Amino acid sequence: MNRRAFLSWGTVGLAALCSAVAVSLGAVCRFLVPSVFYEPPQSFKIGNPADFPFGPPAFLADEKIFVFRDRDKGFAVASAVCTHLGCTVAHFQSDQRFHCPCHGSEFGADGSVLHGPAPRPLNWFEVTLARDGQLRVDKDKTVPSSYRLVV
Amino acid sequence: MERRLQQLFFALSLVALALILAAAWQANTPSWKTYQKNFLQLEAQGEPNAVAKAAVLATPPEIHQSLLPGLQRVDRCTTCHLGVEDPTMKNAPEPFRYHAGLGPHVPARFGCTICHGGQGLATDKESAHGKVEFWQTPLLAKDYIRASCGRCHKEGDVPDVPELAEGRHLFETQGCRGCHKLNGVGGSIGPDLTEEGANRRAPEWLERHFLAPNAVSTGSAMPNFHFTKEQARNLTYYMLSLTSEEMGTYFSSMRSIPGPAYGRQLFIEKNCITCHAIGGVGAKTGPDLLGVTKRHSPEWLDEQLVNPELVYPGSAMPEYDLEPNARKALVAFMASATAEDVQSILSGKPRALAPEQIAIEAGKQNFARFGCVGCHGTELQGGVPNPNAQGGEVPSLLHVSDDYTKDEVIAIIRNGRAPPLDNPTGPTPPLYMPSWKHVLSDEDINRIADYLWSKQQVKKDSW
Amino acid sequence: MNLIREIWQSIVRRDPLSTDKGKSELVFLNVWLHIHPAKVKKENLRFKHTFYLGFITFFLFLILLTTGIALMCYYRPFPPQAYQDMKDLQFVVFMGPFLRNMHRWAAHGMVVCVFLHMCRVFYTGSYKKPRQFNWVVGVLLLLLTLGLSFTGYLLPWDQLAYWAITVGTNIGSYAPLIGGQLRELLLGGHSVGEAALLRFYVLHVAVLPSLIILMTIVHFWRVRKDGGLSRPVWKLTPEKAEKLVTIGAPAEAVALSVATASKDKTYGLMEVVTGKPIFETITPEEEADTVFSYPYAFVREAVVLMATVTTIMTMSLFLNAPLEELANPAKTPNPAKAPWYFLGLQELVSHSALLGGVVAPALMVLALIAIPYFDRNPSRRPCDRKWIIWLFTFFVVVNLVLIVVGTFFRGPGWALVPPWVHVVSGAE
Repeated sequence: MNRRAFLSWGTVGLAALCSAVAVSLGAVCRFLVPSVFYEPPQSFKIGNPADFPFGPPAFLADEKIFVFRDRDKGFAVASAVCTHLGCTVAHFQSDQRFHCPCHGSEFGADGSVLHGPAPRPLNWFEVTLARDGQLRVDKDKTVPSSYRLVV
Repeated sequence: MERRLQQLFFALSLVALALILAAAWQANTPSWKTYQKNFLQLEAQGEPNAVAKAAVLATPPEIHQSLLPGLQRVDRCTTCHLGVEDPTMKNAPEPFRYHAGLGPHVPARFGCTICHGGQGLATDKESAHGKVEFWQTPLLAKDYIRASCGRCHKEGDVPDVPELAEGRHLFETQGCRGCHKLNGVGGSIGPDLTEEGANRRAPEWLERHFLAPNAVSTGSAMPNFHFTKEQARNLTYYMLSLTSEEMGTYFSSMRSIPGPAYGRQLFIEKNCITCHAIGGVGAKTGPDLLGVTKRHSPEWLDEQLVNPELVYPGSAMPEYDLEPNARKALVAFMASATAEDVQSILSGKPRALAPEQIAIEAGKQNFARFGCVGCHGTELQGGVPNPNAQGGEVPSLLHVSDDYTKDEVIAIIRNGRAPPLDNPTGPTPPLYMPSWKHVLSDEDINRIADYLWSKQQVKKDSW
Repeated sequence: MNLIREIWQSIVRRDPLSTDKGKSELVFLNVWLHIHPAKVKKENLRFKHTFYLGFITFFLFLILLTTGIALMCYYRPFPPQAYQDMKDLQFVVFMGPFLRNMHRWAAHGMVVCVFLHMCRVFYTGSYKKPRQFNWVVGVLLLLLTLGLSFTGYLLPWDQLAYWAITVGTNIGSYAPLIGGQLRELLLGGHSVGEAALLRFYVLHVAVLPSLIILMTIVHFWRVRKDGGLSRPVWKLTPEKAEKLVTIGAPAEAVALSVATASKDKTYGLMEVVTGKPIFETITPEEEADTVFSYPYAFVREAVVLMATVTTIMTMSLFLNAPLEELANPAKTPNPAKAPWYFLGLQELVSHSALLGGVVAPALMVLALIAIPYFDRNPSRRPCDRKWIIWLFTFFVVVNLVLIVVGTFFRGPGWALVPPWVHVVSGAE
């Protein structure tokens, strides 16, 4: 028996097996990535522009967003999730700030951190006009705080 | 030998690798991705410049779904039917075409399958359209989709679907409940129909069945009611709408549609006739309501119904605390009401009748509502075939008093009875008299007996 | 470079594989491989001797374990959701159908292979002394396999699952005295419902797998401790058959002496303990009949492993696991059938509840367990044990015939209908 050939066949066999296992592991990882989510979608419609008031922001509790509407500047959507540890912040009309109830973080009107342990400003999300005329918010797309959708 | 085995091991490992790659490739190329790609191309055509086109085309493929906990379903139809809410897709080819006339019934809130049927969870055409083994509710044919309105709108009128109300009316007047249970009330001779719309049979089957029960279901005990084609269609619509599925509060709050039939019901319930007349028929305390919708705007009428004093100072009309839909329904009724209508309302009222007449009238109504007419006939003529029962058919009730006392008849209604057999060794006749004592009160049964006695005919050959 | 070598040597502490010592150390210094002997008898490696059915069963179990854990990530054991999760696996989970198919076909395969393995062990007489207890462990493993398959059958919560379990658990309820209560305990109610699904799930993913893993460890351990695989019958001479010496068989054991011990062999720790040797004593010519496990046994196992995996994968690529309508307690399919491996019993129950529900299953389990203790005939040659072979074969054939009849020849109303005749059930 040719020992060299004997060993090499076993080795390539093992290599083939390892690659099969590697691909299987990859497939299982892909299997574990969910294709659908049983939770509110990241991109959703929030209603017609006319539904939103001027002045104080509308807070949408399920979506955890504030919808701002300025008379001249247009629409902007801020995240209500504190960048520190994920509590839901409240908007105070009195001082035009966002206050986090958990660890006292405070955010300015543009979402920037004024006080507390929060490491980053609040997120602002892209808001666009869908083809049927409704406002569409996409939480996967963050925008600068100066972003406005003029309707 | 050893070398051969190692080669075999190598070959089998390669095969395993190939198989797992094949499975991954198969999983990565579902048909819905092709649909999405085609849709993006269609969408890109409408974009003005190359940058926007490229942005549209770069949209990653993803499964779209409407989570509908209130309707207990998840619909993924919009994964392929991408243009449903996009008016610019009005003339696009299917599956991308715009769905006109959705009104408040947007997919995000209602999904698709609640009306159309099909398998909402599926993501390939054949399974999604439900035309596969082991899926009971395939897509409804176009002619029958409107029947689905009745799945949520169980009471009142559904605009543009008169079939539902007609079907319900037929069901309640033709004695279907005599044999069939619906929501717990009815006989046990035929199948329970509570879930008839949920375990949907083919609508075509239902329609043919109503025209000739025996032709589609051999040996069926159901009599041929000689329905017209239109009546069969209406009943089919009603059947398709039957389901005990809990549609959730949001949906049930919208159930009563503000139409004239609901308004008529309210008009009777709230005793409007005590003060008002229509076309001169009724009381004179309040104004005559004929043409009231022409004299006032709907908004005025609505406010009047909310707070009569405010609109019409010094009005004696009480506040009725009606919800908006009820007010709309009343206005709709007033717009269509006629003097004859009020006449019929009044004649339906027991108060207008003599006491013994009241009993007979109530008996007659129960006789129809609880399904006695299904077998014994609207004119008590009987005659529905019942093989191997004495006489071979359900007996006429026009001569009961010849053979029974009133008490005996009441006992039969209360306790039910298996018909006497023609041939004692033959099969059990399919139809029998059910026991009604748990469904009807003694008073109701007495009234039915009164009604029967009011209809007795003297035998011609008696002397 | 030195560091790398040092790290490698800290993991693999053996001589090079080109040496005999290295080949031995590969086996007994490795926790995963040391269940093997360093050397195995040549003829025991022959495919025709065992058909590797034990290995195939074990590899199928490994497939079931891995695919099962993956599937658990997408399964909720509550009635409407369970079915919806099946639909999700089918329609939206990447490779969901493939993994579910693999789990399904491997499960059926395991039931078949564990049964065939038992038959092989029976026909080669390998349950005889000193392997009696391992046979009993094997019977328990067969029961556990059936239990796993049966509990898994309910999980999709479709009509097929619901009614198979309804019928299956009712077969069990015919057992006298405790049958009814046992069924209630298993189902957590009087009929298959929410509680039953949860209980079956717990049994399927926690209780039974733990038990089967424990029993498999015992089974493998005993294979080694009972002297390895039984030798092919044609290799046995009457004298040699009696020369097998193991723990617990001190009377006939030949004391290890310098004269009989091989000069090149090293002996283990137990050597310092006084008393009879614990190793199988073999003669020099027998030793010449052995080969190192590496690579001779390992390459064969690797081939069997890959053959098993590729077979299951191929089936899963082309055959889809069944999924019927959502379970509907109000609507019994006609006929309602138990899982196929219980159809023999259902067939018997249709003739006599006592026979199918009580006598047959009790007899089968008890007889199987009792075989090694009642069959005291020491010979493993088929010609010396004709009657018991006939008896066993008779039971196997009867069971198979009943299963085939129940699976393929029973139509609506449990009427005898050949599979090529299509019966339209009901008026609708």
